[in-house]
Amino acid sequence: MNTEILRIQGQDSKTEEMILNLGPQHPSTHGVLRVILKMDGEVITSAQPDVGYLHRGTEKLAENRTYPQMLVISDRWDYLAAMSNNLVWALAVEKLMQIEVPARGQILRVIMVELNRIASHLVFFGTYGIDIGAYTPFLYAFREREKILDLFEEVSGARMTYNYIRIGGVMADLPKDWIGRCRSFLEWMKPRFIEYDTLLTENPIFQDRTKNIGILPQPLAISYGISGPNLRGSSYRFDLRKDAPYCLYEKFNFSIPTGKNGDCWDRYWVRIEEMKESVKIIEQALDLLPEGECNAKVPRIIRPPMGEVYAQIEAPRGMLGIYLVSDGGDKPYRVHVRPPSFINLAVLQEILVGMKVADVIAILGSIDIVLGEVDR
Amino acid sequence: MLNYFKTIYKVGKSLIQGMLVTWKSFWQPSITVQFPDEKLITPERFRGALTFDKETCTACNLCVKACPTACISLEPAVDPATKKRIAKVSWYQIDFGKCNYCRLCEEACPTKPIKSVRHTHQYEWGMLERKEMFVKWERMSPSTEPSTSGSTNMKPI
Repeated sequence: MNTEILRIQGQDSKTEEMILNLGPQHPSTHGVLRVILKMDGEVITSAQPDVGYLHRGTEKLAENRTYPQMLVISDRWDYLAAMSNNLVWALAVEKLMQIEVPARGQILRVIMVELNRIASHLVFFGTYGIDIGAYTPFLYAFREREKILDLFEEVSGARMTYNYIRIGGVMADLPKDWIGRCRSFLEWMKPRFIEYDTLLTENPIFQDRTKNIGILPQPLAISYGISGPNLRGSSYRFDLRKDAPYCLYEKFNFSIPTGKNGDCWDRYWVRIEEMKESVKIIEQALDLLPEGECNAKVPRIIRPPMGEVYAQIEAPRGMLGIYLVSDGGDKPYRVHVRPPSFINLAVLQEILVGMKVADVIAILGSIDIVLGEVDR
Repeated sequence: MLNYFKTIYKVGKSLIQGMLVTWKSFWQPSITVQFPDEKLITPERFRGALTFDKETCTACNLCVKACPTACISLEPAVDPATKKRIAKVSWYQIDFGKCNYCRLCEEACPTKPIKSVRHTHQYEWGMLERKEMFVKWERMSPSTEPSTSGSTNMKPI
């Protein structure tokens, strides 16, 4: 009787669309990202990411910086994986100047970039746990990340903005006993993945919250230009380390993990598997590490010849590219960065539609953006 | 109904498994460093605050050109007798509000064997005012004492 009256009363009342502002100060948006959500009850009808709160104009700044100075700025794009940014800038300038880096320098770069990939995915693992509501994995992930940052600190002198990979090679050779410490870290790291699986991956609550949530179909991913673990989560095997090898990646034996459905869990799982692959790559690289010089001969003042070049690498978040135009001077004429985070973020407006508001953070976290790179 | 209890069993089991991991870690030695009382030893290449040696500097301007944020400024000394520039610095100033701690200035510095401008291992440094970020080293101290000399400002708070 009562319910019937309520139902009849409800027929007269009007529902209206609600606009919810997520961010830019929301702690789960991983930085200053604002998402304007339009909701019909609990269901999202439209989502619009609003970026630019961290814009520093580094592409324009590059036109007033010399080539080595720009390396310092490149650290600030994707600050969780600054080695990759250094590497892609160095590769672009080397491609323009046709500098051949010695094998030791190349392998050192691979070691650093892969260590940084583990550190970057560990941050994803920890913060994604927090987004879903599990705090413990965060502490475990940051314990391991701290060890990697200690290794980086010994090598480059800094913990986040390394400025280690330079044009023509690296800043300096490895310090004494570093290889031993790196190996002991890798040995220590391997059993940790079992811990992570117990803590988060195999947890039924976590699986319920991520499986079949935020499905990114493969055609949509390709049409939006998604790259990195997000694309591989949608069962598309594309990795620049295999498809367009740089820095002697063709010498290493590793596999590319891919997901099945392209949901949040697949994107998460791909990153966990990638960490295991990175451990394998670093082990092989430490075995391969040849003796000799690690730096090529580079003129003191770098003046690349006139021309344009595009260099790309597989950064932890996807395909990171640099388009560089030189007019023959000591400063770039024009620089454009192809940031994986920015392009991955664009698909958010498609995959959020039709999802419940409680899943927004789970989907946003699984895309794994770094706002420093989105806004540059 | 059976599924309901199955789910409870599944979640409870994974909860206990997760707790076992934390239980094992509980007995591991703590890795926390009680910072002001204990301090970690910084590695040899650590990039801390910059220091400057005003006696060895030749005022060659290479560090000024190398700096990405233009935080270094200097003026070469002038010989009072001949009114000509000499290979010494009159004053040297670093704006630590802009400094990137990137080591490009240290690498550009040509003085041997010890670089004139170089990173120290000092990482504890608090400033209350913006003007304290400008650290100035003056070689030729005229009649008055320099108002901000690097050595006094570099002390940790």
